[in-house]
Amino acid sequence: MSWSPLLLSFEISFIATVLAGVLGVGVAALLVRYRFPGRELVDALITAPMVLPPTVLGYYVLVTLGRDSTLGRAYESLTGSSIVFSYTGLVVAGLLAALPFVVKSSRAALCEVDPRIVAAARTLGAGPVRVFFTVQLPLAASGVVAGLALGFARSLGDFGVTLMVAGNIPGDTQTGALAIYDALQSNRDSDAGSMALVMAAFAACALYGVNKLTGPKAHGW
Amino acid sequence: MSHSLTSQNPPSRRAESLIRVLALIALLGAALVACQREPKPVPVRVAAASDLTHAFEALGKQFEQQTKQPVSFTFGSTGLMARQLQQGAPFDMFAAADVAFADQVVKAGACDGSTQALYGRGRIVIWGRKGRAPEPPKQLKDLAEARYKRIAIANPEHAPYGRAARAALKQAGVWQAVEPRLVLGENVRQTLQLAETGNADVAIVALALTVADQENPWALVDGDLHPHIDQALVVCTRGANTAGGRRFAEFVNSPEGRGVMRRYGFVLPGEQLTQNP
Repeated sequence: MSWSPLLLSFEISFIATVLAGVLGVGVAALLVRYRFPGRELVDALITAPMVLPPTVLGYYVLVTLGRDSTLGRAYESLTGSSIVFSYTGLVVAGLLAALPFVVKSSRAALCEVDPRIVAAARTLGAGPVRVFFTVQLPLAASGVVAGLALGFARSLGDFGVTLMVAGNIPGDTQTGALAIYDALQSNRDSDAGSMALVMAAFAACALYGVNKLTGPKAHGW
Repeated sequence: MSHSLTSQNPPSRRAESLIRVLALIALLGAALVACQREPKPVPVRVAAASDLTHAFEALGKQFEQQTKQPVSFTFGSTGLMARQLQQGAPFDMFAAADVAFADQVVKAGACDGSTQALYGRGRIVIWGRKGRAPEPPKQLKDLAEARYKRIAIANPEHAPYGRAARAALKQAGVWQAVEPRLVLGENVRQTLQLAETGNADVAIVALALTVADQENPWALVDGDLHPHIDQALVVCTRGANTAGGRRFAEFVNSPEGRGVMRRYGFVLPGEQLTQNP
């Protein structure tokens, strides 16, 4: 059994989750703070990857970021390598997987923050950004973290989109999920089993850890 | 529904609207399920390697016309379908892209060894999309040139055509140069798709997938560069229509079936490749 696909998966998911966290919490904050026409549409578009079949998503990623697309070509002329079939492509796939969870969860959590507390902080002189980081976000923390945990787990397990855009290049873009799939097709059962076990154990530990951090203590029950 | 559900409707009315929507969805779901319930004749279920997509679809049409027996095909990676068969997948016939996979399912008891038969030998081609620069090379060794940034082959680990591509690249002496630029398709049809969508510059795929292609440039790879791709079929016993599977297997190797296979560039057992492709 080789460790590199597993390590690649953890690495990619971690990076994707961090990006999803920054981007997702930001988007959630905007969705909560501002009422604008099309607000729910934006929310739906961001959440769409969660409900679209992975092959549909993979198709759209190929079409919008593939080597033949405008964005893909621009990227390739700037950096010399393509988005698809590269580390970048993997992170994009992971980001698409994780983002909906972060946004949905963070938005719900931020909505629940008592507006009177926010108002109180403002009357005490804190600007909106300071209020966000020192009052709203900490109060919404367990929801945000839950979203991050789900996002991480989901991006770790991504298969469909990755299969279509990663190119399955051993050592470069072969993630754990793809490696397990390959092992299964090549009759390497013990490899498939070991890798699956490691990934499952890792995901379980990560989720357990998160639950411990954000569980009963946060609510005082 | 453009009005805000939270501001105008008190909770009980919201619940009512929600229940109505859910009931509608449930009704639609039930209607869809009910539409599927019409009795249909049991089709012959064939698992076929993805390189057979065009050839078998043509065969299937002729078979259905002649015997009035419907056939349904599942095209995909030979390795994956072999595994599925081992786990009890209900196919009536399996057309593998390599003899080894047919042996594998027979050994697992999913298929009847006495029905195992070679049905053709595959060939590989270098394929490029029309109008795309660079143009695909006529010879494998030209792939060493750096202008071919991404070369797609099927995964050599479990796809027979990928294995042949790798063997040919090695035999042509360009494997070292080409390997860092490879992109692996899950099966040979997905490999072709990688080049069709412009994500790979060239693809090494099965002749059967491109033989009818008049539009895009492709070139046959010298058959001496790789071991034979001996494709075998076998009737499987875990499906609902084993007799149908047997009939289709016989049809593939009948003079009519062989004619179709020949048209798709397969070298038939006992013959040489015709010069056409």
